[in-house]
Amino acid sequence: MSENDFGDLRRRDTERHLLAAVDESDNSKRAVMFLADFFGDSRNVFVTLLSIIPEPSEDFFPGEAERQAWLKEKEAGMQKHLAGYKEILLGAGFQAGQIETRLSIRPCTSIGDAILEEQEKLRCCIIVVGRRGISHSEEFVFGSTSSKILHHAKHCAVMVVE
Amino acid sequence: MAHPAETLQEDAVRELIARHAGPERVPARFKIITDTSDFFRVEYNDVVILGAVPYWVKRYEKEGRFGIDDEPKYWVRRAINLNTGATKILKLVFHEQFETTVGEVTIICFRSPKKEARILDLVAGHKNFMHGHWVLDAAGNIVRILEFIRGPRFDEVVAGYGADHHDYFHRYFPSVLDQYLELVLAIKLLHDHGEKHGDIRRDHILWDVDTKVNRWIDFDYNYQHGESMFGFDLQGLGNILIFLAGRGDVLVADLHRNQRELFDTLWGEDLSIAYKNRVANLKKIYPYIPDSLNRVLLHFSFGANIFYETTDQLLDDLARARADMVSLTGRQT
Repeated sequence: MSENDFGDLRRRDTERHLLAAVDESDNSKRAVMFLADFFGDSRNVFVTLLSIIPEPSEDFFPGEAERQAWLKEKEAGMQKHLAGYKEILLGAGFQAGQIETRLSIRPCTSIGDAILEEQEKLRCCIIVVGRRGISHSEEFVFGSTSSKILHHAKHCAVMVVE
Repeated sequence: MAHPAETLQEDAVRELIARHAGPERVPARFKIITDTSDFFRVEYNDVVILGAVPYWVKRYEKEGRFGIDDEPKYWVRRAINLNTGATKILKLVFHEQFETTVGEVTIICFRSPKKEARILDLVAGHKNFMHGHWVLDAAGNIVRILEFIRGPRFDEVVAGYGADHHDYFHRYFPSVLDQYLELVLAIKLLHDHGEKHGDIRRDHILWDVDTKVNRWIDFDYNYQHGESMFGFDLQGLGNILIFLAGRGDVLVADLHRNQRELFDTLWGEDLSIAYKNRVANLKKIYPYIPDSLNRVLLHFSFGANIFYETTDQLLDDLARARADMVSLTGRQT
């Protein structure tokens, strides 16, 4: 699926459409396992597994070739994780037609904002994210994606799995 | 034996040096360098040719790091443009990656010539930034040629204001706050263009004695950010504001030693989240600080629950603080 092609996702208003925002971390895996456990036997639930890869600045690489190589490796790794998360849901009783995976590589200053943009486009009723449980100081300097989503999400529920 | 073209070039350079500094100052030996990849090869009195302009290299620059002796920056050289006689700063390419710690948080930082070159283009003509241009040397290194700024550090100027804090705060701080607001607006310009300063520290602001404004310097750092792209920059702005409002850092150890009655009123949440030996809740030390200003300071304290994510949020709160400073002191600036 391309960046701007949402297939029939917009028509899923009548379904319970969950957006699980994931990365390669353990807390993302925990969030997916929670979803599997909680909704595994629900037939009217649709899950989009979304991963955002922020395009890294050119400053971090000696040249464009190295940057592209990094992105390619990151994309391959993330696709593997998404496939693994899909397997977890299938193993819990989800049907293949209830799951969509979506990987977005894009310039973004905030992953939280990017997730919220996707939620708005897809019109999901629940955003599910894992939480790392970072320290106060760490949140001060780096910010927290789950806090950002909690504070800024509109027209949807937010489920934070710890 | 030297190549004829090289000899000719050296003769021409010798003549330029003689014209600039007098024949007696022409060094007996020096190198003409077009590839600056090995910046340690660039020595005092050498001449670096960049974009067909010869620069006569002088001393290297230094960087002070709070109480530690100034560290030499061998890749940053003062130099004289032999065509115009103007003093410039040459910043040669030095790829450095290191970790820095703020509180218990480790941040991976990069030194990026590309980033600094981009920002030099972006801030050309902006009064609150250092200016310069960049040139690719013979090996394709991005060498930045910076205009020399004459003047002391902003924090050193501020630390000398007033007989005591009360005097400073009522007579000088309104103007200092205005200057700080101008500096935050300059950082907002970077952020609005998706750029970070990357190394916001008070020794990276110089008071330009010629233009009478403060100017940000040294923006070649980048850092790996998380959710909050500008969090580290904002933390730097907060540290500077705490310094300015306190006319220096209010250190816990000093209070313990000299003002025990104030020390006894402090809680952990009153301290700076970045530096736990500094007080952020300055109203406990200086009760005349308006609540609106102190609330801004508390955003950078250990007790804060929400943090600034953008310069706009900080500027909104500072606008209120500024209004209260005008009411308190009767001074517009």
